[in-house]
Amino acid sequence: MRKLIAAMAAVAVGATMFASAGYAADKKLTIALIPGLTTDAFYISMRKGAEAAAKAVGVELVFQGAPDFNPVLQVPVLDAVIARHPDAILIAPTDKNQLVQPLKKAVDAGVTVVTVDTFIGTGKYQTGAGDADFPISYIASDNILGGEIAARALAKAVGDKGKVFVSNVKPGISTTDQREEGFKREMKNHPGITVLDTQFNDDDANKAASQLQSVLARNGDLVGVFGANLFSALGAANGVKQANKIGVVKVVAFDAPNSIVDNLKSGLVDIAIAQHPAEIGYYGVMTAYAHLTGNSVPTSIGTGFTVMDKTNIDDPNVARFIYKE
Amino acid sequence: MSASSAAAPGTGAKPNAGLAWLARIAELRAWLFLLILVVFFETWAQVAYGVTFFGSSYNLQSIAVFAVAPLLLALGSTFVIISGGIDLSIGFVMGLSAVVAAHGVNIAGHWLSPFPAMLVGIVAGLLVTLVPGKINGLLIAKLNIPPFIGTLGMFGVARGVAFLIAGGTTVPVSNHWFASLGNDRIFGLPYVVLVTVLFLIGMHYLLSQTRFGQHTYALGANEQATIRAGIDVDRLKQRLYMLSAFCAGIGGVLYAARFTAGAAQAGEPLLLDSIAAVVIGGASLFGGSGTVFGTVAGSLVIAVIQYGLVFINVEPFWQFVAVGCVIIISVLVDQTQRRFTER
Repeated sequence: MRKLIAAMAAVAVGATMFASAGYAADKKLTIALIPGLTTDAFYISMRKGAEAAAKAVGVELVFQGAPDFNPVLQVPVLDAVIARHPDAILIAPTDKNQLVQPLKKAVDAGVTVVTVDTFIGTGKYQTGAGDADFPISYIASDNILGGEIAARALAKAVGDKGKVFVSNVKPGISTTDQREEGFKREMKNHPGITVLDTQFNDDDANKAASQLQSVLARNGDLVGVFGANLFSALGAANGVKQANKIGVVKVVAFDAPNSIVDNLKSGLVDIAIAQHPAEIGYYGVMTAYAHLTGNSVPTSIGTGFTVMDKTNIDDPNVARFIYKE
Repeated sequence: MSASSAAAPGTGAKPNAGLAWLARIAELRAWLFLLILVVFFETWAQVAYGVTFFGSSYNLQSIAVFAVAPLLLALGSTFVIISGGIDLSIGFVMGLSAVVAAHGVNIAGHWLSPFPAMLVGIVAGLLVTLVPGKINGLLIAKLNIPPFIGTLGMFGVARGVAFLIAGGTTVPVSNHWFASLGNDRIFGLPYVVLVTVLFLIGMHYLLSQTRFGQHTYALGANEQATIRAGIDVDRLKQRLYMLSAFCAGIGGVLYAARFTAGAAQAGEPLLLDSIAAVVIGGASLFGGSGTVFGTVAGSLVIAVIQYGLVFINVEPFWQFVAVGCVIIISVLVDQTQRRFTER
């Protein structure tokens, strides 16, 4: 029995070697992109950018992910992708600790790992510190900076005085936590502005709307709200509308899918902070390609933001950052 | 329940009168919770901030609008839970309906003027829910799949289809009639609240005054006896799950109108709140008891807790604790009442 297993193992190893040899001869590199969730305009735009880069350098791009932003769902997808043995994996890890071991398996299998949008460990890679520094690069918007930009835009819109608050999803998500952190940090430079307690809405627009109305009931002098993600912003904007305070309470939305852009045009949302997800996807593929073809790459790349409002949204240089669907 | 409280005065015996009171209190417990909450938040607002909480029409409107979506899901669930079943698919059926309504309004808008385009979208959003409702009913009635499993499967199917139709994102709608339905008011009353109130009165009539309602109670109380009484239980079950999906459909259409966008995940966070509302409202998960107005009170209890705790600025996580405690107390009251009345 033991001999049989040994023989089978030998055959399996031989087959794998043969397969990878075949791969090398083929020369066309395969790069897999695993988003945080498949059902989100942000990641769909990222895929578009990645596809553009893949086409430019002639690599094959595989796109696979889970429908929810959840490590329990993402890890099986990752395992299945590793089993197909791509040359590199670009992944938006759904948890900074829980994805460390699963990604280590990819590295052990000889797959290059790049994280996009979110990170594992501390997000500082190739330092030799900790057990999560093995990805070659982290490519993302600087969410703290994004929060700061949101704060500056809101402060300007409300004339640098009054009460504002952050409508956020729930604590523990690295990106939205950082947006809130950046927002609050920047608001310290605006002494006329008071930042009230953050309200968490569980990604439920209905709840976000109700929370805005409740905060407004207690603080008649509320002048602004920062919706840290899509549903926070949609909900807060609706709360402002229900309370008949459009224009009085300014709404800043993070991210720029079509539904936010429509609200920008109709005046429900005053300012949108667009990330550049296509840029993240593009540089993700380019970084992996550069590494796989023997070039050195930076361990982190920060992509930019665009501030959108009613006055500039029709400008093609701004409109091209609306998320693709 | 009303039978036992009516019989008590006739006997005149003291313990029976006590039991009758107990039964009545148990029946009205959701309204009592609501009263306690009203007193609590009003006192807090008066003492701490010197303002009124429930005297403000702004607060009342905000709470009413907030309660609409979970209540619509809960109304359908009231029927299903009374019949001894459960429907876990309604959250994503609501999302499916929101997405289909949004697309429907947009597509019809290419050919029709805004008002008829809105109607097309609404009808499409409502009709599409009958498909998952019918399939749920068939699975449960004809194939004897337990409701928990059958509707859990539909939870996944409806979710996947909704995301597929939406193209994985939210579907924006631009139709001023539709936006007006979701956000405007008549005599200070938001349309979404008005629609919900009219609908819940209809649902109350359906449950308390029609044969369908009586059969629903009978099915939940004793399925075998209901079958032996010659009632077509299979057909009844199919209708119940279609009704439940239809209620979710109204929730989805109103969601799309209010946020001028259809989102596949619109109803997901509401599922547990809606079941909690039914239970707080006095329905038993074992079937056979529950009322529409109890569910209304249950939904308002949850909305008032969540709105009120933000109003008095309590750490957000206490909302979960508070709602959880109300559910536990509610079930305890129910159990105690049963123990005494059945003796």
